[in-house]
Amino acid sequence: MSTEKVKEAIAKILPDVETVICYQQGFDGLHTTPLFIKIPEEINGLIWNPLCVQNLTSYLPSIKKKVGIVVKGCDSRTIVQYLQEGLIDREKIVIIGVPCTGVVSVKKVLREIGHQPVAGVAFDDNGNIVVKTSKGDRTLAIADVCPDKCATCQYPTPIVYDYLAGDPIKSDKPKESVHEDIRQFDEKTLEEKKAYWEKELEKCIRCYACRNACPMCICQDSCIAETREPHWISQKLSLTEKFMFHMIHAVHLAGRCVECGECERVCPMDIPVAKLKKKINTEMKELFNYEPGVDPDGKPPMYTFNVDEVKIKEHKL
Amino acid sequence: MTDIKNPYLPELATVLRVIEETPNIKSFQVAFNDPEKMKGFTFQPGQVGQLSVFGVGESTFVINSPPTRMEYLQFSVMKAGEVTAAIHNLYPGDQVGIRAPLGNWFPYEEMKGRNILFIGGGIGLAPLRTLILFMLDNRSDYKDITIIYGSRTPPDLCYKDELKEWEERSDVNLILTVDNEYPGWSKRTGFVPTVLKEVAPSPDDTVAITCGPPIMIKFVLEGLAQLKFRDEDIITTLEKRMKCGIGLCGRCNIGSKYVCKDGPVFSLAQLKEMPDDV
Amino acid sequence: MPDTGYLPKEKVKDFMRELAKDAVVYAPCLEGDTVIFRPFSEERTLCFDRPANSPPKSVIYPQSEQLFAFEYKKDPEDHQKMSVELKADTNVPGMVIFAARPCDARGFTIYDRVFIDTDTPDPYYKKRRENTLIVTLSCAEPSPGCFCVGVGGGPAHKEGSDAMMTELEGGYFIEPVSEKGKAILNKSMIEDGSPYLQKAQEAQAKAHEAVKNPFETDKLKISQDLFNNDAFWEEAVSKCVSCGACTYLCPTCYCFNITDEQASGKGERIRSWDACMFFHFTLEASTHNPRPTRFQRFKNRVGHKFVYYPEKYDGAIACCGCGRCIRYCPVSVDISEIVSNLTESGQKQQQTAGSAKK
Repeated sequence: MSTEKVKEAIAKILPDVETVICYQQGFDGLHTTPLFIKIPEEINGLIWNPLCVQNLTSYLPSIKKKVGIVVKGCDSRTIVQYLQEGLIDREKIVIIGVPCTGVVSVKKVLREIGHQPVAGVAFDDNGNIVVKTSKGDRTLAIADVCPDKCATCQYPTPIVYDYLAGDPIKSDKPKESVHEDIRQFDEKTLEEKKAYWEKELEKCIRCYACRNACPMCICQDSCIAETREPHWISQKLSLTEKFMFHMIHAVHLAGRCVECGECERVCPMDIPVAKLKKKINTEMKELFNYEPGVDPDGKPPMYTFNVDEVKIKEHKL
Repeated sequence: MTDIKNPYLPELATVLRVIEETPNIKSFQVAFNDPEKMKGFTFQPGQVGQLSVFGVGESTFVINSPPTRMEYLQFSVMKAGEVTAAIHNLYPGDQVGIRAPLGNWFPYEEMKGRNILFIGGGIGLAPLRTLILFMLDNRSDYKDITIIYGSRTPPDLCYKDELKEWEERSDVNLILTVDNEYPGWSKRTGFVPTVLKEVAPSPDDTVAITCGPPIMIKFVLEGLAQLKFRDEDIITTLEKRMKCGIGLCGRCNIGSKYVCKDGPVFSLAQLKEMPDDV
Repeated sequence: MPDTGYLPKEKVKDFMRELAKDAVVYAPCLEGDTVIFRPFSEERTLCFDRPANSPPKSVIYPQSEQLFAFEYKKDPEDHQKMSVELKADTNVPGMVIFAARPCDARGFTIYDRVFIDTDTPDPYYKKRRENTLIVTLSCAEPSPGCFCVGVGGGPAHKEGSDAMMTELEGGYFIEPVSEKGKAILNKSMIEDGSPYLQKAQEAQAKAHEAVKNPFETDKLKISQDLFNNDAFWEEAVSKCVSCGACTYLCPTCYCFNITDEQASGKGERIRSWDACMFFHFTLEASTHNPRPTRFQRFKNRVGHKFVYYPEKYDGAIACCGCGRCIRYCPVSVDISEIVSNLTESGQKQQQTAGSAKK
């Protein structure tokens, strides 16, 4: 297990940074929560296991001091994107990368165990999570309860890091599989898609957890969801308002969304909001052959303008 | 089922007169459309009202005309956000909504027989104006009245006609100041807290009432403490973002006190009990 | 008439249909994995086996509601002049909240003090509250994050319920709490409850035992020193992302916004839930913000529930311990842990732990 290696790396960098952002056990066996390590004694509170799902990098732009951070492959894409957009100073961040074979979706586990209270959780050597409840133990293959992003993960090893806790892993998932779900969804008729999104977005309570947990949502306190100037969205609870917010959220992330899935993970009403962003990424891939968060020197296509853009039909007229 | 008064429903009113006080402050004299409502309306100096422009929203302002002069209610509005910009676009005859009176008021009964010191800055003279006029209308109830008032430049002084009147009265001591030298200005210059130090009014049997920008209030409070004013004798009126005006919506609280309902008037002694900065 | 009732499981839907004859019945329904209170209809799938993701607060206190409609009208005499017409409607149909959890019902009693027991009662809330019958379902076991017993409630605490059901093997034992609740025992599907009384009491006692109390003493004593220590808050909530999940899912959070919406001369003034966790909540037109940081906002949220509200209302705590803010927090902020650390005993524990470290 990488836990000891992560702890070693943190101990090594701690004298050089203000704080190290990593994970600790949360309020029950299934939940982890961020840990901000400032002194060596606090390293013992760290845990590292497939329940360490949160993308911790979203804290980076608001921290001015030098920090250390523990990232998985998927999380590292956020750092790459931040670097592209000049939102962080690479000199002020020490990255401990951890190769990852897939994490656990708490929502999927809860669905499997019938939303029972969880007494404890263990991991065996065969890639399973063992969930203890008052009705007995349930053994689930992590591959069966991982977030969708893990099933097609192309970057199990972080793209940028200063220390790597573990040996690099190569992805065994075919590249074509990444956009498979979106292409399948695209086959639905317009009416079916409309009905699907109306049903899902109707559940939205406008808590903005998706926005605030999103590492790339940089408007934050000036978000049009709440401003009166411009007054694009009212405080009514109609489907129109909810649609408008989620569409703007998705469009603002065009070519920038690193598909960490935080928006969907944190939604208290289980709305598949990440699908909207992924759809746009699929289009970006097709139009511009661009993938966000993999090349520190790249530029999001929507930040550039090329009159001869080959893939846009109108330009060929 | 009980029928209770709807505290969210404004009373309709008409703008009677608009006065341009400064480049970005206008006063609005309004009267309720229902003459009976106007006749029966009572309030205390220091209480506030919610002024509505329907379609844009509501904002809170002190009723700065005194309860002793009830032909209209006056609100002075500095242009800052969406609602105040809409109010600035109002002309005589336009319709507005009013929810008033709201909040508490200056403890003028307890001030009877004492010296009164007003210290105001900019638009901060508005809440003081209601009490000043009220006291002038009941002049014999109070001893010396001193007013220290300042603004950035002479054009930024509010209520210029009244300032002239007060200056001419022998029973009011008005001290005006502007931040810097200004062409044609022959009176004092300097920030209000500095002028307060220069004037150095005696704390003996005196109540100080202050309102202005937060930074001015901060230094005025320090100045009054140096002059040995007691915390109980220092009174200020606070401004916070408000919505409901009746202590429900939760945004104007300082600890357990709601500025809209428990305030806006607080003594320094009360403010010191509060868990957060104001 | 017997004092208690019993509803066989196979008659639950009949009973709900009966209630739906003269009221809109809101019940926890399953949509995907999410449990939401919805107006009961035959196509819906009821879900009683876990608390709903969102509490039924919106039934009585809608997330967004019209306070009044306005319309500008041209004066027929003088076309330069406009008059305004206002229309407010506080009428609501009869409603039933069915199978809410006891904590959810208790939440309404916390609102009642604010919205009804004041010199300016809120007519919208009051009408809805008066028109709603609340039938709760006691909890058989705690959900993750639950701590109702720590704030004076419990899995079968009756405050706020009109009647309470307790699940037994073949049906539900029903205890009326209010006069309104007593009336439901008259319905034809309800049998005499007395044979089931003991079993129900045993189930309730067992459930009570299972809920954790995160606080050491019965009476929460918040340390003023810690509460007013900025460093405590910065440390405790540095991970908070300042979203509104905790407040919108909270059965006791009630802060709101009032905004105008208009199109071509007419529109409405609406009241909608707001969250003290949002930067915009206290932002003033001058751009001054009295609570600009996340920790100040979080302090206000905890303060409102555990310090300010008790100060105003005889020590009553404005938290029902439902655990939703913990369960659904994007980053697992645990309010019960924070409050526990804020208590005087918690403070002592931290000091001992701190000195041991050194």
